[in-house]
Amino acid sequence: MSDVSQTVGIEQTPQTPLPAGYPHTKGAQAENLKFAFWLYLASEVVIFATMIATFIVFRLHNPEVVKQVHEAANILLVTANTFLLLTSSWAMVMGLRAIQRNDQSGLIKWFSFMAVLGTIFVLLQYVEYQELAHLGIAIYNQGNQFDGFGMRFYAPTAFHGVHVIVGVLWGLWIINNARKGAYSSSNYAGVEAFGLYWHFVDVVWVILFTFLYLV
Amino acid sequence: MDAQHTPEKSITPTYKDEQGHFHGDTTTLFGRTINMNVYTVVFLALGLFTIIEVLLFELPRGFLTIPLMLGLALVKAGLVVYFYMHLNKDSRLFAVALLVPTVMVALATLFLMIVPTGY
Repeated sequence: MSDVSQTVGIEQTPQTPLPAGYPHTKGAQAENLKFAFWLYLASEVVIFATMIATFIVFRLHNPEVVKQVHEAANILLVTANTFLLLTSSWAMVMGLRAIQRNDQSGLIKWFSFMAVLGTIFVLLQYVEYQELAHLGIAIYNQGNQFDGFGMRFYAPTAFHGVHVIVGVLWGLWIINNARKGAYSSSNYAGVEAFGLYWHFVDVVWVILFTFLYLV
Repeated sequence: MDAQHTPEKSITPTYKDEQGHFHGDTTTLFGRTINMNVYTVVFLALGLFTIIEVLLFELPRGFLTIPLMLGLALVKAGLVVYFYMHLNKDSRLFAVALLVPTVMVALATLFLMIVPTGY
């Protein structure tokens, strides 16, 4: 920074000491990053919960429609997808555990596994959507037996799918950083923040799986 | 979040002792020591609960089926949040940040369930 400012002639301001209590330690910065991330996840809770609430209210008033979909849906495929996401969450936390032990290759190995599982999840969700489309369940069904179901089903599951795609891309970015040696046992706040995101995506699926597919 | 009281746990290996040895490769469950780390034990529990949920779905429904499924889902979500998202070790403030909107939306959902919605 100082080189650039000297080159372009920017007047340098003297460094002022941080106010008392300002988070200046690495640990405090990591804690603040995590707290900020929890607040972000809180906003995500509201979005997903609103979609789930919409589905619950629809299900209460149209139990026969939901029952028909449950009978027609491929529960084995969705269960397999659930196991993929649960396993990816385990891989994620094992990767974090590895970098806490300064094991860079362990982090890359576990995160690669996680990214593969996340990708398969998205592909299987596409297969599931194809099957549902063949059954006639569209986003907007009017007049047939699935009237009103599609929108309330596809909105939360597709929004969750987008989160998985973002998570996979983020995971690949972390892997790329790890290959450059960006993380260590004393510097893994970025990995931990990503972990919170990925586990949240897993938690949302646990809830969606039960409310949308089983109950 | 005071810097004076912020633990350094997030930047130091959680399971390293003063001699530099790592711990956490075993888990104590109901008084028995299992030769697996807690994350793997939680993963196996999540898998088991998922299988139970699907079996409940396949079996004929009784009055307890839906409450059991919902209970299992909440336990699974709780396990992930508590162990994988480290709420068992992190600041209580993080738990509050998660619980406040969750409770608010749950209450709003319950309200929506009891009022006429026009369906």
